[in-house]
Amino acid sequence: MDELDATIHQPARLQIMAALCQLNTLRQVDFTFLKTKLNLTDGNLGAHLLTLEGKGYIAVEKTFVARRPKTFVSATAAGRRAFDAHAAALRAILKSK
Amino acid sequence: MNISPEEAARALSDIEASRAAMRTTIRGFRGHYYLWLWGGIWAAMALRAEFHALPGLRMNPWLIYPGIMTTFLILLYQGTKIRSPVNKRFLGVLATIVVFSFVWPMVLGHSANAKSGFAYGVLVPMFCYIVAGIWFDMYLFWIGLLVSALLLSSLLFFPALFWWSVVLCGGALIGTGFYVRYFWR
Repeated sequence: MDELDATIHQPARLQIMAALCQLNTLRQVDFTFLKTKLNLTDGNLGAHLLTLEGKGYIAVEKTFVARRPKTFVSATAAGRRAFDAHAAALRAILKSK
Repeated sequence: MNISPEEAARALSDIEASRAAMRTTIRGFRGHYYLWLWGGIWAAMALRAEFHALPGLRMNPWLIYPGIMTTFLILLYQGTKIRSPVNKRFLGVLATIVVFSFVWPMVLGHSANAKSGFAYGVLVPMFCYIVAGIWFDMYLFWIGLLVSALLLSSLLFFPALFWWSVVLCGGALIGTGFYVRYFWR
């Protein structure tokens, strides 16, 4: 049976993982764009991304677009597996109610 | 880690809300702009050719070059928000197709016929669509196949209706654009 993942369960990180896992595996989303979509602040999103990156759930790529620094984020295969397992565990809790 | 069923329900609803918001966002970053743009350009080119014959065809650069520039602008805009890492192998395949598409007519001799020349110019990008469809998203494969079949059948069997079939192909691209924007996954 799948177990809950404490890292993913935090509400903001849950939102981030749900959004990133919705993207096609090859796609990456811009940090600023993600921040706007999730209604998070720079610091808040940055801190949560660091936690998720530390667990290997997301990949962060820093690059330059038109000489401006840009950060792109995507869910890793491990992150997708962990998120699916977490969602399955949540559904199992609801079923056992 | 233990949580109550109520908390689990809340988390699942948060997940669904986040997924739905991202789905809506992703829909704005698909290939529909290109399909609308080029569907419109093809239809305009074909209508000019149908009603003005060859003088109409001479206007094509005025449609094609702004079309190419707009395509690059869309590509740049979309790439700043959601992007796919550059697939060098796929770009290599596309470059090979484009280079050989210039080589083949030189080997075989240029076509003097405006219709077959136009059909060739459309079949090359449709070939790219089919390859891109096999590589990435199947809708590109199907639209490439449909437009190629439509264009070839009108060129070979109903040449009098050729320009109208191009208008239909442009309409098919525009329709696919709407499908991709609002209904695809």
